[in-house]
Amino acid sequence: MGSSQLSNKIRRLRFENGEMTQQQLADKAGVTRQTIIAIESGKYTPSLLLAFRIARAFGLSVEEVFGYEGDDL
Amino acid sequence: MNKTQKGAWVSIAMALICIATFGYIYVQLFILRKLPGLTDIWPLATIYCVLLIMPVILMRKKQSPQEVEKDERDRMIEKRAVIAAFVAVWILLFAASLIPRFIVELDGAIPVWSLAFINVGILVIVLLVYSVVVLVQYGWRGKDGK
Repeated sequence: MGSSQLSNKIRRLRFENGEMTQQQLADKAGVTRQTIIAIESGKYTPSLLLAFRIARAFGLSVEEVFGYEGDDL
Repeated sequence: MNKTQKGAWVSIAMALICIATFGYIYVQLFILRKLPGLTDIWPLATIYCVLLIMPVILMRKKQSPQEVEKDERDRMIEKRAVIAAFVAVWILLFAASLIPRFIVELDGAIPVWSLAFINVGILVIVLLVYSVVVLVQYGWRGKDGK
């Protein structure tokens, strides 16, 4: 489920956005708190739609929230 | 712990009690050679009834309107568990087709009770496989994956 190639800054962004809780972010993104926890710890790779929703919750683009560390094409 | 995890734990409990019940009946019928009476069965029957009521407890009201019951991750976990259970069914059906070979009697007859044991055994094992796969994917932990 998780991917070592996909990183994220969700935890840092939560604290930078008024110390948003995981539950608050989950409510904004339309998922459960467990899913946010799994994404933050790298144990779950969100779908493209969920990645966009999380980024929108912070008012940022997907690239500013998630990072890809794979080989360059 | 979410509903899917709770359901998986309840399913494991019911499957284990089912195994215990059939083990008890087998011992009574074929080892002790006596028919189990109601007084022998009622403790297990009581536990069954309690476990049947458990799903009602699981269907609690939402704590908030925004609370999501199942999201994409939950659906993916359930889908993988269903696939694992489906594979288990095929493996068990193949294994079950070999069992009559070992229990056939001298006149070539297969005991009727064996079919019940095989069918219920497959059901119980598939339920266990589904529940274990669900819990393994969630991480066995009950406290929201931490």
